Amino acid sequence: MWWNSVLLALLLTSAAHASPGKDPMPSVMWQFYQQKMLGDKPFVFDDKVVLQAPPFAEDSRQVPIQVDARAYAGQVEKIIAWAELNPIPRIFSFEPGPQVQPLLAIRIRVEQATPIRAAVLTKDGVWHVGSAWVEAAGGGCTAPSVVRAQEGWEERLGQIHAARFIHGNDSRLRLRVDHPMDNGMVGGVPEFYLDQAQLRDEQGQVLANIELFPAVAENPVISLEVQGHDQARLWLRDNSGNEFEGEF
Amino acid sequence: MRLWCSLLLLALTVPVAAAQDYHLQPRQIAADTWLLEGSRDNFDKTNGGNIVNTGFIVTDAGVVVIDTGPSRHYGQAMRQAIASVTSQPIVLVLLTHHHPDHVLGNQAFADVPIAALDGTQKLLAEQGNAMAENMYRLVGDWMRGTEVLLPTETVAAGERQVGNHRLRLLALSGHTGADLAILDERSGVLFAGDLVFYQRALTTPNSPGLEVWLKDLDTLQALPWKLIVPGHGPVASDAAPFAQMRDYLGWLDGLLRGSAAKGLDMNEVIRAPIAARFDGVNLSRYELIRSVSHLYPRYEQQALPLR
Repeated sequence: MWWNSVLLALLLTSAAHASPGKDPMPSVMWQFYQQKMLGDKPFVFDDKVVLQAPPFAEDSRQVPIQVDARAYAGQVEKIIAWAELNPIPRIFSFEPGPQVQPLLAIRIRVEQATPIRAAVLTKDGVWHVGSAWVEAAGGGCTAPSVVRAQEGWEERLGQIHAARFIHGNDSRLRLRVDHPMDNGMVGGVPEFYLDQAQLRDEQGQVLANIELFPAVAENPVISLEVQGHDQARLWLRDNSGNEFEGEF
Repeated sequence: MRLWCSLLLLALTVPVAAAQDYHLQPRQIAADTWLLEGSRDNFDKTNGGNIVNTGFIVTDAGVVVIDTGPSRHYGQAMRQAIASVTSQPIVLVLLTHHHPDHVLGNQAFADVPIAALDGTQKLLAEQGNAMAENMYRLVGDWMRGTEVLLPTETVAAGERQVGNHRLRLLALSGHTGADLAILDERSGVLFAGDLVFYQRALTTPNSPGLEVWLKDLDTLQALPWKLIVPGHGPVASDAAPFAQMRDYLGWLDGLLRGSAAKGLDMNEVIRAPIAARFDGVNLSRYELIRSVSHLYPRYEQQALPLR
């Protein structure tokens, strides 16, 4: 009797965690990243998590990716993204609050052709994994900084270019922050990159948390979407403790 | 046994050698003027990078070559093609700009003055090796032995007499920042380089801006030309290539400006619909993806004010 219950429980568990489906990418690293990023939580490969990237990287130092998990609006706890074959794979970890859409666009560096993944953790404890493949000549992670080659970049450090665009009932918030995002892989230049960001409302209440990693390209360009048309601010901090804030 | 081995070797080598023949067929397009027309496709391992138009003018003082193609092997094949129609020696090579499909055949012309604009020389010195490396990735073994050979002579805008042909050289910039166009005043043939693409989407990796390019088109169209040789696509004796270029550049500029004003990100722009009238323009989606990478940041900067 006891054994039967265990068996039943096991059956139910495996039914709830139905097969993750077939990996849409020709990946050699999936299992490694699944364990490292998703832990022991169940996951599914899910094309309702729309991960867009160009089919090829025209500039391996600035490859745009966009994650759209609005199919799970209201259920998203966290979105994490990584580039599997990058020396620095992690891109961001994004926790949108209730007023913030589970959508984020950003640009990254790729060192070679690679699968990109965006894993969306929903409130039922399941990871939904969106995938894209980027073809690339590569070298984006180890190429010398473009920002540092520009005269006066230190004076422009942390300058914010931002605007709000009305998209129906939502606002699209777009921001570029001038920062070299040094990843420590270019000779003689230590890691110096933005690692924390918070979207806040006018009263300073946190709307969303974003953790950034140095796979993010120089002069990061970030797009977010929030409900309503109220003003908002993005606060950023780099690993040297410099803080920047821009208003939309 | 030895015979079998030789046969086997032959069987292995022949298809490879056959596959790597550019089959260059010089076509006479005007008096003394010959064209080697490439395909309208992208670089790949079947075309060996022959996606480009090169040409040559046979003057009574020798041959002027315009662009040398995508590889050393192409340059050598081009020399043979030239020798098949004239016994005149080659006296001058003119490079229209520094992009790899136009200059990586230079090694085959190492015994001849190779002339280009000063800006072309600088851009090739700066970007040549990276571009050549990328060509090896895209077209593979066709590139064997290809290395960047820099121009040996600088030309500027003005007239240049070669034998019985007076060439008008124009120093323009819309495509790469240093673009040489050549009008043969004797034949009326205008070698426009990549300032003019026709039935093939234009490329923008080094363009200083689409408005600069549009001005260059005005300059070119005002010349007394009879036949246009675009850098890519078929020759034309009417102004259709200019009309298509203006239309396409205007559409691209409007798309990028409008998208930035709507707050779109790059992935949304590269998936934008392409106007149906450009259906006949080969590779327009592919080149839109590239152009968004090259140009969209400038449009974004205008739409995202400093805070």
